[in-house]
Amino acid sequence: MARAAGSDHRGGTLRLTAASSGGSLDPQIAYEHENLQLEAPVYDGLMAFPKSAPDRIGDGDRPIPDLADGPPDIRDGGLTYVFHLRRGVRFSNGQEVTVNDVAATMRRIFRVNSPAAGPYFSDLVGAAPCLNGRTDCTLAGGVVADPAAGSVTFHLVRPDPDFLYQLAFPQASIVPADTPGADTGNVAPPGTGPYRIVSYDPDRGLRMERNPYFHAWNPVAQPDGYPDRIQYDFGLEADAEVTAVENGQYDWMLDMPPADRLGELGDRYAARVHLSDMQVVYYMELNVRRPPFDNPAVRRALNDAIDRHAVVIHEGGPALALPLCGMLPRGLMGYDPACAYGRGASADHPAPAWQGPDLDRARALVRASGTAGQAVSIVTQTSPVAIAIAGEVRDVLTALGYRVTTRAITPTVEFSYLQNTGNDVQIGFTGWESDYPAPSSYLHTLFSCDSFHPGSDNSLNMSGLCDPALDAAMRAAALAQMTDPARADALWRQVGRDLMALAPVVPLVQTRRVDVVSARVGHVAISPYHLLLIAQLWVR
Amino acid sequence: MAMAILRRLGQTLFVLVGISVLVFLVFFATPGADPTARIAGRNASPQTVARVRVEYGFDRPLPVQYIRMMEKLFVTRDLTSYVNRGEKVVPEVFQAAPVTVSLVTGAAVIWVLASVAMGTLAAALRGGWVDRGLMMLGLVGISIPVFWLGQVANLLTQSRYHDSWLFSWVPGLGYVPFMQDPLGWFRALVIPWFTLAVLFIGIYSRVLRADLVAVRGEDFMRTARAKGLSPARVLLFHGLRTSMITFVSLFGLDFAQLVGGGALLTEVVFGLQGVGRLTYQALGNLDLPLIMATVMYSAVFVVIANAVVDMLYLLLDPRVRDGRA
Amino acid sequence: MTTALTPSSPSVSARASAGPWRTAARVLVRHRGAMVSLAVLALVTVACLLAPVYADDVAHTDPFTSNVAGTVMLDGRQVDIMQPNDNPLHLGLSPIGPTWRMAAYPLGADSQGRDVAARLLYGGRNSLLIAFSAAALCIMVAACVGIVAGYAGGVVDAVLSRMMDIMWAVPVYLFAISLSIVTVSQGLRIGPFTVASDNLLIPICIIALVYVPYAARPVRGRVMTLRRSEFVTAARGLGVPGHRIVLRDILPNVTGTLVVLAPLMTALALMAESALSFLSIGVQAPAASWGTIIQDGEGLIYTRPMVAVAPGLAIIVVVLALNILGDGMRDALDVRDGDRGRG
Repeated sequence: MARAAGSDHRGGTLRLTAASSGGSLDPQIAYEHENLQLEAPVYDGLMAFPKSAPDRIGDGDRPIPDLADGPPDIRDGGLTYVFHLRRGVRFSNGQEVTVNDVAATMRRIFRVNSPAAGPYFSDLVGAAPCLNGRTDCTLAGGVVADPAAGSVTFHLVRPDPDFLYQLAFPQASIVPADTPGADTGNVAPPGTGPYRIVSYDPDRGLRMERNPYFHAWNPVAQPDGYPDRIQYDFGLEADAEVTAVENGQYDWMLDMPPADRLGELGDRYAARVHLSDMQVVYYMELNVRRPPFDNPAVRRALNDAIDRHAVVIHEGGPALALPLCGMLPRGLMGYDPACAYGRGASADHPAPAWQGPDLDRARALVRASGTAGQAVSIVTQTSPVAIAIAGEVRDVLTALGYRVTTRAITPTVEFSYLQNTGNDVQIGFTGWESDYPAPSSYLHTLFSCDSFHPGSDNSLNMSGLCDPALDAAMRAAALAQMTDPARADALWRQVGRDLMALAPVVPLVQTRRVDVVSARVGHVAISPYHLLLIAQLWVR
Repeated sequence: MAMAILRRLGQTLFVLVGISVLVFLVFFATPGADPTARIAGRNASPQTVARVRVEYGFDRPLPVQYIRMMEKLFVTRDLTSYVNRGEKVVPEVFQAAPVTVSLVTGAAVIWVLASVAMGTLAAALRGGWVDRGLMMLGLVGISIPVFWLGQVANLLTQSRYHDSWLFSWVPGLGYVPFMQDPLGWFRALVIPWFTLAVLFIGIYSRVLRADLVAVRGEDFMRTARAKGLSPARVLLFHGLRTSMITFVSLFGLDFAQLVGGGALLTEVVFGLQGVGRLTYQALGNLDLPLIMATVMYSAVFVVIANAVVDMLYLLLDPRVRDGRA
Repeated sequence: MTTALTPSSPSVSARASAGPWRTAARVLVRHRGAMVSLAVLALVTVACLLAPVYADDVAHTDPFTSNVAGTVMLDGRQVDIMQPNDNPLHLGLSPIGPTWRMAAYPLGADSQGRDVAARLLYGGRNSLLIAFSAAALCIMVAACVGIVAGYAGGVVDAVLSRMMDIMWAVPVYLFAISLSIVTVSQGLRIGPFTVASDNLLIPICIIALVYVPYAARPVRGRVMTLRRSEFVTAARGLGVPGHRIVLRDILPNVTGTLVVLAPLMTALALMAESALSFLSIGVQAPAASWGTIIQDGEGLIYTRPMVAVAPGLAIIVVVLALNILGDGMRDALDVRDGDRGRG
C-alpha cells in the first residue's frame, strides 16, 4: 500500500453486483444511492465532494472546486458567485467543456423537472418561469456565461448558505449543452470523469470503460480510476451476492449483507470487510396535527419510553448501529451525542449519551395527558427490520396504554404515503439521508414550514411541524456557516435541542455500512459522501 | 363449428380486456399508488410535481389514461416503466421470458417422465404396496409448499452441504443464459427444475393412475386383452394412449400458466429473473406499466391455452363440451 | 389448482336420502388413512388451541412482543437471547437456537427474540382458522355461482363463466398480491364498515375469492348434468318453480361434490395462506401464521434453519392429512377424481 498510486495498479476488470438497478442514468434526474455512487467517476460539477480516498476524518464532505479552477468569488453579501471554468477539460465525446455548457445545464435542471430544481435552485434570478415550465425560461439574469473571460456568474435573489453544497450535489453535474431536454433514461449523456457508461440495461447490468479524453486535473476532486473496465450486474439477491463475493465471482456487492450472514463474514472474512458510518437517520415521525401526538407531552413520553438499544439490535447490533437522540448523524456539523430523554436525562440536564428507557416517567406523562386508551396506527415498510422496529414501538405504545395496530406498506410507496396529509398517518417509520452533508438538509428540509405541503405526496415535513421561532433559528445558524463555522456548529446544536424539546419525531438509530470485497481487490477507500469509491479499487 | 370457434375468440378477447381493466382499476384504487411524486423525485417542489403530472398525463380522466396505456402497450409498444424511466416494458418482458421458459420446460420434462412412470407402474400394480406407496409419495409432493421446498433445497445445496462432494457443483443462485454457457445453464437450473416439478409429479401421476384404472374396464381394452396381447402391452399402448387426452389437456393449461408467470414463487426463491419474478418486483414497486405488461403476457398465455384446450375438446369429444367449457 | 370432479355414473344422481350418506360414513370409517388423518388433524387443532396454556404456564413467554434485549435461564446460567458473535468486528447477532427443553425456547428464538414453539402454536391457530373459513366461504360462493350458472345456462352462464375465466386467467398469486397490497395499506372500507388491515377477514376473503372459479367449475358441471336428468325434467314438466327445483332436487345432489371439495379446498387455502404470508401480504405482524414464521425464518436460514423448517413441516403434515381425508371421502361418496394443480 505504501507505493504511490501509480500505473502498477491500473488495469483489469472490476465486477460489481447489485440486486436491482438504480433507475434513470440522467445525472439531473438520478437520485438513488446506487446511481450517484456509480456516476461519481463519470460526471463532475463546478464543485464536488472529493472523490479520492480521504486522508483525515472530516475530509470528503466539504465541497471543493472541480470543474471550476478555484473557489468562487462571492460578492454582494452572498448574492453573486463568480466561477472560472477550468480550461482543457473534455467530455467523453471529445467536445471541450465551455461556460455555455454550464449555463445550459442549469437550464436543463429545470427543463427535465429535476428534483433539485425547486429546493436548491429556485433562488436563482429568473428561476420562477423555469420552475413553472414556461417557454420563456432562460435564467438570463440568474446564470451569466462569459465565454471570453471563461467565467460563469450566478445571481441569487437571497443569500443561500448551502449554495456551494447544492452545486456539488450530483444533480448539478455539467453535461453538454446539446443534451436533450428530457430524461435520458437508460442513456448516459457524455460526462467529464475518467469513465463513460457504454451500456445499460436496468434488468441486467451496466458497463463502464475509460473516457479516452480524461486527464486528472484535480486528483482530489476527481482522480483517475484504476480498473480499465467496470462491469455491474443486476439481479442476484443479497444472499447470493454474499456467496458470490466470498467466492470471488464478484468483487463488491452494493446491498447490505443479510443479518444471517454477518457472523460468517466476521468469522471468516474479517480482513475483507469494511465498516463505515452512513449519514442516514432512522426515526419515527409523529404527526403533530393528529391525536394523540398533537400533545407534546405524549411525543416526549414516547421518546422517553422507546428502547433505542433494542432498535440497535434489530439493525445488527452495536457494530452496525448507533443510538440517536437527535436528527443529525454523527460526523455532521451540529451533531450532538447528548440525550434529553430516557433514564437519567431531562431537557435541562441532558445525559451525555443514551442511557436506557424511562418507562415510569413516560407513563406519568401519558396519564397526565389523558390520552391513554386512544387508537394508534403505526405505518411501516414491508421489510423484516422495519416490521421488527415498528413492533418495538407498538410494544412500547401498548405498555403506555394505547390501542395499537401496525400497517406494513411496500417501501416504494410508504415514503410518499407518510408525506401526504390525506392519508392521516399518526406515526410512521422512515429514514432520511440528505442530498448533501449539511445540517440544514436534515433539519430545515424535514421540519421547516417551507417543506410542509398539505395534500401532496411530496411534503418532507411529515410531522407537519411549523414553528416560526425554530425556522428563524435555522436560518441564523445557516447564515453563520458562511462566516463562522465554529459558531454555526454551536447554533445548529442548539437548533437540534430546541427541535427535540418539541419532539416531532422519535430519533432511533444511525446505521453503519458493511462493505465486503473479493480477495483480489485492494485499496478500499470510503468517502463519507460517495461511500465506497469504486473507481479507486485495485484489481489484482 | 366455425361459428363456435369465432364466438370463443370473441369471448377470449373480452376476457383479456376485462383483465386489463381490472388491473388498471386495482392500481388506481391503491392508496399511495399515484406515481407522480416518485417520478418527480424526493424533495421535489410542488411546481415540479405539477409539471410531471401533466407531462405523464396523470391529470387526464381514467378512461383516457387507460386507452393511452393500451395503445402504448399493444400498438406502438413503447410503454415505459415508471421506475426505470428509459426502460420499455415490452422488450423487458420478452427478455425475461427465456428464463421462465428454461425453468418450466426443464421441470415439465421431469414431471412428465416421472409421473408417467409412477402412474403407469401404480396402475399396473394396482392395489399392491407399490401402488399405495407411489400414490402416497404423490400426495406428499402435492402437500409441500414449493417456496419452502426451494428454501430447504437452498439450505442444503448452498450452505450446509455445499462443501461436500454431493453439492459442490451447485453454482450460486441466479440464471446463466444457455447460449453463454450450456453447462452452467444446466447446473444453475437443475435444482429449481426438480423443486418446481415435485408438485406436478404428484398431481399427474395420480390423475394418470386414476384414468388408467378407469379405462381398464372399457370395451376396447377387454378386446385387446381378449386378442391375447400381454397385459403390459395393453396398458402401455392402449390404456396410456387413451388416458393421454386428459393428461395432455391438463399439461397444456399448466404449462401455459407456468410460462405466463405462475412459477413466481420458484423464481423468487431461486433468484431467477423470469416473468414471475419481474411481476413480483413490479407489484412491489407499484410500477403499473410493468404490472400491466406482465399480467397481460401471462393472461394471454392462460386464456389462449384455455381456449385451445376447449376447442380441442370441441373437436375431439363433443360429449364433454357442456361439462368442461 | 383446478378440479374436475365428475359423477362416476348417472345412477348416483338418485335423490338424496339418509341412505347414501350413512353408507358413505361407513366406508369412510373403514378407510384407515382417512381415520389416521382425522386423528392427526384433531391432534394438531387441539395442540394449537392449547397455545395460551403453553405460552403462559409452560414457557412463560409472550410470543407477540419483541424480546431482543432479554435473557433466559439455561442450565442455571443467564443466557442472552440474542447472542453476539465474538469475531474481531463483532459482526452478527444470532437468536438462541433450539434447546429442546419444553420451558426454554425448545425450537429456539426468531430474530425478534420470540419463542418459535409458542409462535408455531399460535400461528397454527391463525393458519387453520383462515384455511377452514376460506374453504367454507369459497365453497358457499362457488356453490351459488355454480348452481346459478349451471341451472340458468344461456347468457347468465356465459357471463358468469367468463367472469370466472378472468379471475382464473390472472395467475392466482398475482391476483392475491394486488388485492392484498390494496387492503393491507388501507384496510377495507365498505360503506360505513371499516375492516382493519390486520383483520383475518382480509386474507380469508382474498383466498376464498381467488379459488371460487376453481370450486365453481365442478359444481356447474354437476348441475348441468342434473338439469338434463329425468327427475328434473319431470319436475319442470309438472310446473314446479325453479327455486324449488334448485333447493329440493339440485342442491342435495350437489352436496356430495361440495363435501368432497371441502378438505381439498382447505388444503389449498392453507397452502395459499402460507404463500401469501411468505410474500408478507397475508397475516400481519405481530400475529403469526405458519407462512409468516417461514418468512421470519428465511432471514435466519443459514444460522437457525429450525425457524423455517418447523412451520414447513407443520404445513406438510396438515395438508397431507387433508388430502388423504379428501381421498377417503371421495372414495366413500363415489365421486371420481380428476384433481390437477397449479404451482
